[in-house]
Amino acid sequence: MDIAYPVGLVVVAASIVIGFTALVREKDDLHRILLTDLAEILALVLIALVATDLAEALILPGLVVGISELMAVSEVYIAKEGLRAPTGPLFRIEVMDSAPGILALILVAYGIVLSGFTGGAIAAVGAVFYFMCRGHTEQFELIETVSGYAWAFWIGAFFIFMFLPAYWFFGVMIAGGAILIKVMAKMSLVGTMRRGGPDV
Amino acid sequence: MFDLPTANIGGPDLFVLEFGDIVAYFSPYTAALFVFALIFTVLVIVSRPERQVDIAFGGDAYYTKVVDPDLLRFQRFMAIACGLATLGAVVTGDVFNFTLFASMVGITNIGIVAAYRNRHVLNAAFQYGIVAMLATVPLFGGAAIVLAGTGTLSMWELFGGAMAVPLIAKAFLVLGVMGEGMAPFYIAKAEITRAQGAPFILMVHVSSLLLFLRVTEIVISM
Repeated sequence: MDIAYPVGLVVVAASIVIGFTALVREKDDLHRILLTDLAEILALVLIALVATDLAEALILPGLVVGISELMAVSEVYIAKEGLRAPTGPLFRIEVMDSAPGILALILVAYGIVLSGFTGGAIAAVGAVFYFMCRGHTEQFELIETVSGYAWAFWIGAFFIFMFLPAYWFFGVMIAGGAILIKVMAKMSLVGTMRRGGPDV
Repeated sequence: MFDLPTANIGGPDLFVLEFGDIVAYFSPYTAALFVFALIFTVLVIVSRPERQVDIAFGGDAYYTKVVDPDLLRFQRFMAIACGLATLGAVVTGDVFNFTLFASMVGITNIGIVAAYRNRHVLNAAFQYGIVAMLATVPLFGGAAIVLAGTGTLSMWELFGGAMAVPLIAKAFLVLGVMGEGMAPFYIAKAEITRAQGAPFILMVHVSSLLLFLRVTEIVISM
């Protein structure tokens, strides 16, 4: 707790004054939502200034609470303004016809090389892109089943860590592969949420 | 570790539940608040909602409004969640957990009010939501300054009197709870209470009352 903490506090205080002044002056409701989101970051900065492990652990719940409040207020805003998803022709550009195959292949392959959670996320981006561009006629029960088995393998890998620590490498491989498949399966469902799909 | 300074308004501890270094407890004071919140949560679970009556002006006619069951179900869920968050805020023994429960009360209050498709009520809920989001700054800021000033968040350590909690942290904590859990006190309360569903709307008031009493106890004892 040296000079950095008081200086940081002064900076945060100045930011709070600026942010709240902007909020008072702003009249547009949508802009006010965005400004409150900015102001919430300052609460996280105040926690982060403490700069201990405990403070680090406190940031995540603070962030989650902030995001959930933002979502609740946004929902109220949508209901208040009576906004609806626009209906019209689907968005189409040429690259969406030519690129998905090769891009999805590269991303999925690279994701498998990375493996684990990060790999799952990257492979999922490829799958999301493919589904968004090409549409989807797959059976979702299949994806969900695969995801469920992957989850069971992941848990099994943790039992290996606990009961048979000598086989840790085997456990790492199972966990890495399973979490890759699980994250990818879950996230690829996002790609099918595009409007106009059969089950949106 | 487990004797709360009896000089404080909380009284002696009756029951202690230890999760690592987070210690939830009952004192006579918080036990009374807990029972009060529990009664209202049970009331919300078992009660059937009222139907609002509108009287046609200039005549004897009146009609009851139709209540959408889906919205009502959502409102009841939010009211129960609000009751549980209040219970948590009352029994917790950790300042940061208290602030988290307070902001959970804020979210569920928005949900209770917003489950009604009336432009005025939605406007009021929106204003409340903005204030509740802004209140997280002093709320978490207060907890962070407590942590920075004393090195702990446990009420067991803070209530002892050996720790000097900065005045600004106490002020921030009170300000945050005022914005988060007690917004109906000053934002368009009339508009908010126009929303339907008598037992569920009550939960907004119960939670704000209990949060007020609890934060008073915490700030005085620190």
